Amino acid sequence: MSKSLKELRPVYVVGIGLHRYQFLSDTTYVDLGLTAVRAALADANIEWPTVESAYVGRALLPMACGRPILRHLGATGIPIAHIENASASGSTAFRQACIEVASGTSDVSLALGVDKPMAIARAEGLTGIGNLADDAIAPFTHFALLADQYATQYGVRHEDIALVAVKNHRNGAKNPFAQHQKERTLDEILGGKKISGTFTSLQCTPVGEGAAAVIVASEDGIKRLGIAASRAVRVAASAGRSQKVNIDATRYDAVLTKETAEIAFRESGISPRALDIVELHDAFAVEEIEYVEAMGICGEGEAISRLKDGEFDIGGRCAVSPSGGLISMGHPIGPTGLGQIAEIARQLRGEAGSRQHAGARTGLAHMVGVGAVCYVHILQK
Amino acid sequence: MTAPDLLKPALYRAEGSDTDPDHPALLGGACECGHVFFPPQTYGCERCGRMSLATRALSGAGKLLASARVHLHGGKTRAAPFTIVSVRLDDGPIVRTLLAGDDAVHPGDRMVTMLVPVTNAEGAELLDLRFVPQR
Ligand SMILES: [Zn+2]
Repeated sequence: MSKSLKELRPVYVVGIGLHRYQFLSDTTYVDLGLTAVRAALADANIEWPTVESAYVGRALLPMACGRPILRHLGATGIPIAHIENASASGSTAFRQACIEVASGTSDVSLALGVDKPMAIARAEGLTGIGNLADDAIAPFTHFALLADQYATQYGVRHEDIALVAVKNHRNGAKNPFAQHQKERTLDEILGGKKISGTFTSLQCTPVGEGAAAVIVASEDGIKRLGIAASRAVRVAASAGRSQKVNIDATRYDAVLTKETAEIAFRESGISPRALDIVELHDAFAVEEIEYVEAMGICGEGEAISRLKDGEFDIGGRCAVSPSGGLISMGHPIGPTGLGQIAEIARQLRGEAGSRQHAGARTGLAHMVGVGAVCYVHILQK
Repeated sequence: MTAPDLLKPALYRAEGSDTDPDHPALLGGACECGHVFFPPQTYGCERCGRMSLATRALSGAGKLLASARVHLHGGKTRAAPFTIVSVRLDDGPIVRTLLAGDDAVHPGDRMVTMLVPVTNAEGAELLDLRFVPQR
């Protein structure tokens, strides 16, 4: 019988570190990565040689970027594996590090996400299968079409969908690691540069660079290295899925989200309505609306009214994207899923400062990626 | 005078389908398991894995699910703004491509295919498939 992560030995997040997400700069990917890993080591209060393996999530950087970063910590000879899984690369690196520690192969493992913006080809365009006009349908148009579909189905106004961006920019303004750190009014957001459909630029994730690192450890590792158990955050569930053939063929991200989140809820025994924190793939405003419903955090067609009631605010029933999410914190691709884990760990430890959601005990991290794939993790304190 | 060639003859044809003879058909595929798909491919069925896939001419008519006016486009081959439509064909698959013209469209509208003249990279005039609201 196969086992879920929860049935293996417990895994804890013990160290988190970030390099701020930012617009493309002269900062090398080596600097980005080292900043995040050194911060994570300092946060865990352990030395680099205690780390037994590394998973490096990246989707844009070329082949084998891990060792050119990690060797500057002192080349310890540990196994380094690179994970490419589109937007979910960091989430997948995290899952692999957790599985390694849970299996007993390592006591301490590092998941690092790092990327810089660069033009790359997508494998889906190289299959030899034709398409009518895929070059004209960028991700923002894919989601603009879904926003139109949602607005029609539930009779909501497009201005209401933009309220997601108001909330997430407000949260990101309090996050020193966010790419956008500025509160925005609804008028500012709606009056911004038109992108596609009803989306304006501030309802879309910015293109950027950055790094995020998470160190996970077993109970043996925590004891042996004298890591503060009081700050360790349990990984209560890990789930990953890929797209099947759906009747509603264009809403695959929401369908996948529902399916993957259900596995994570079952594994952890935590219900969607018990979550305190959710970090999800809000690259475009409508995604947050679709995914909170798909996960069962609220009922179908209810997300806009819950959002307006403040239920998803920091201090509300369930803080959604307290980091600012992809819309405000940013989406450098490789780091993003690990940045979510860092934010949730910070919130559950009560160390999130001015954006702290009081009394946070459980959090869920969600990423979808082109393919399509979906990864969900639940953390618990 | 003969009609210009098609830009993507593997994906559509000027003649209609059995299910809709009046509008250019899309050329999809079908599997023994009942899965009907677009675009066509012969690698294997996404639903069941069978390799015996047949081509199937699909109706050039369907219902609009959504549309988006695109204001920002990076590619050099076409200039924004243009409108992308998502259409569920009467034969099942959902397809997305450009709207011909600038008529306002709304989810639920009946849509049909038409061939419109386009110029390819070499300057030759060809016909490409678009959707328009059914009159
Ligand atoms: Zn089949």
